[in-house]
Amino acid sequence: MISTTTPPAANPQSRLRPGRYRIAFALAALVVVALVASSLLNYVYLDTIPGRASLYGLLAVALIALGTFILVRAYTRDRATRRKHLIRAAVLIGLGVLLWLLVIDVFLFTQSAGPGVAAVCALVCLPTTAFGLLVVRRMDRNHKEPWRLVLVAAAWGAIVATSLVVWGETIWEQSAQHALVPGPGLDTSLAFMAGILEELAKGLAVLLLFLVMRNEFDDVVDGIVYGAAVGLGFNYLESISYMTNLYSIFAPENNGAVAAGIQWYGRQVLGLFFGHATYTAFIGAGVGIARQVPRMRQKILAIVAGFIVAIAGHFSWDAWATLFPIENTLFGLVEIHLRTLIMTGPFTAALIALLLFGIRYEGQNLLDQMHKEAASGYGAILPEEVAVLASPWRRLQQRLQALNRAGFRAYFKVSRLQTAQLDLAMERWHRERKEIDTPLEAEQQLRNRVIQLRHWVTA
Amino acid sequence: MSATTYDQLKVLYRTLLVLATVGTVILAIGLVQFVYFEPPGQTTGVKANIVGVYQYDPATKSTVGADRSEFPRTEEFAAKVDWSSLPNNLVVDARWYDSFGSLRGLVGPAPPSSLAAESVIPVDVPEGFHYVLPGRYTFVVERVKDGAPVEVLGRRFVLVDR
Repeated sequence: MISTTTPPAANPQSRLRPGRYRIAFALAALVVVALVASSLLNYVYLDTIPGRASLYGLLAVALIALGTFILVRAYTRDRATRRKHLIRAAVLIGLGVLLWLLVIDVFLFTQSAGPGVAAVCALVCLPTTAFGLLVVRRMDRNHKEPWRLVLVAAAWGAIVATSLVVWGETIWEQSAQHALVPGPGLDTSLAFMAGILEELAKGLAVLLLFLVMRNEFDDVVDGIVYGAAVGLGFNYLESISYMTNLYSIFAPENNGAVAAGIQWYGRQVLGLFFGHATYTAFIGAGVGIARQVPRMRQKILAIVAGFIVAIAGHFSWDAWATLFPIENTLFGLVEIHLRTLIMTGPFTAALIALLLFGIRYEGQNLLDQMHKEAASGYGAILPEEVAVLASPWRRLQQRLQALNRAGFRAYFKVSRLQTAQLDLAMERWHRERKEIDTPLEAEQQLRNRVIQLRHWVTA
Repeated sequence: MSATTYDQLKVLYRTLLVLATVGTVILAIGLVQFVYFEPPGQTTGVKANIVGVYQYDPATKSTVGADRSEFPRTEEFAAKVDWSSLPNNLVVDARWYDSFGSLRGLVGPAPPSSLAAESVIPVDVPEGFHYVLPGRYTFVVERVKDGAPVEVLGRRFVLVDR
């Protein structure tokens, strides 16, 4: 039985950590103020269904925000108090989700398309989004992110980011529609609106994760994973919103299911990785690079650069997608795919290039650290284990061998050992680069944990 | 920190900066596009008199009832414009847009006096559909210059219920 505690997360002597938390607190306070203002303004000025949903959903957003904070912090506490905090977080998030679903179902989607259609839309988007999250998490081949943080990122994208943009987009859209000439000028303005407001709302999640959970935010690869997860969450709720809306518009003409189905395919299949996931992953890439560059000026530039690429990618799709008209023929099916490939493909390709380079960079450094740890003679990583640990394929083979030998328990035991060893290598890498504010004892605790896990596996 | 490691990080950092430069160019092109279609200094101060929006009978091509801002989807509707409210040296048109931004009705462009016989501008039912699509419709009377609308002289919003 493993009884070790997680290494202490905070270094009391660090001057960096309070600064980060102050920024995170300020950002969170801004988010809450924006949500409150958004909800009240929507209710007062819109006096429509979204206005009511926004106001009533405020409590749900607050519950989820508080629950999420307790959840992510729970894992930095020792095992004895962690369970208590996890239960609190689960209750708060559960209540928030239930309330949110109630608000959404009753006041938003059911009003336009009915509860049955809303439920079907939510259900059919679930497997594709889950598949997206699975793929995104697996992209980090060397050091996978914890599911709890990937899901927190997706939940932010789905619930908080979508709530944040309602007010801003409504004000912008209504002002533009009252002031501009309908046509390309108005379309361009609305494309700027979507790019700027939606990417800022989604990017806030990545920034807060970086500030609050820096120990789980290692480099550019992690940034891309978290950013893409936020984007997938946002895409999930946006898909439901568009599907139910179009269903309600076209249902009286007996085309509701077809219209909703086309939206599902466009957003949950064709655009699953090409749209929001790609854009917000760029913000994550910027934050991830900022995590490792040494100077403050470079950090700020990297974060700003990530946001600019994300906004530009999003803008270009919204503004220029109509340059590729889709014919109402069979060839239109090909054109839809070509349009996505041509418009968003270059951004996704650039992101994949950053990701592959990041994985290679991370892999080489972890290998270097594993060699150094093996040479140290502490016994946490043995020289003959380095080659296996360095290769995701060989790690899988090792786990499968354990599965064949002693079943699933053994598979998971070996998996935990491998993860702990990679955690140790990652900790060593950050310490060598002076990018970490945990005390040296934390590294020794990780080492002890690996050794205990090894005994456990052997037993 | 080894030189190799830092060089690799520098490659990532610089790649991102290059991508951000491309992004800035894209946003700048967007800004130019916006200014091209919304050129500054086009305000003439002229206001078009949109008499109202009424239920429309396509059989008689005439309006029915009182001015309204909300219609059920089963009803067709049309805007009525007093073209004599506009100076004749302008080239103008009138358009309906649906909530997707698609054009759903057009009159002009021409000098206002040439449009006197077309004071009623109905919303077109999309081809293959029985009724107009629900949502928010925008009606605009625009001043046209060099073939493109440059100023809105009058505007009305209409809601079509689901």
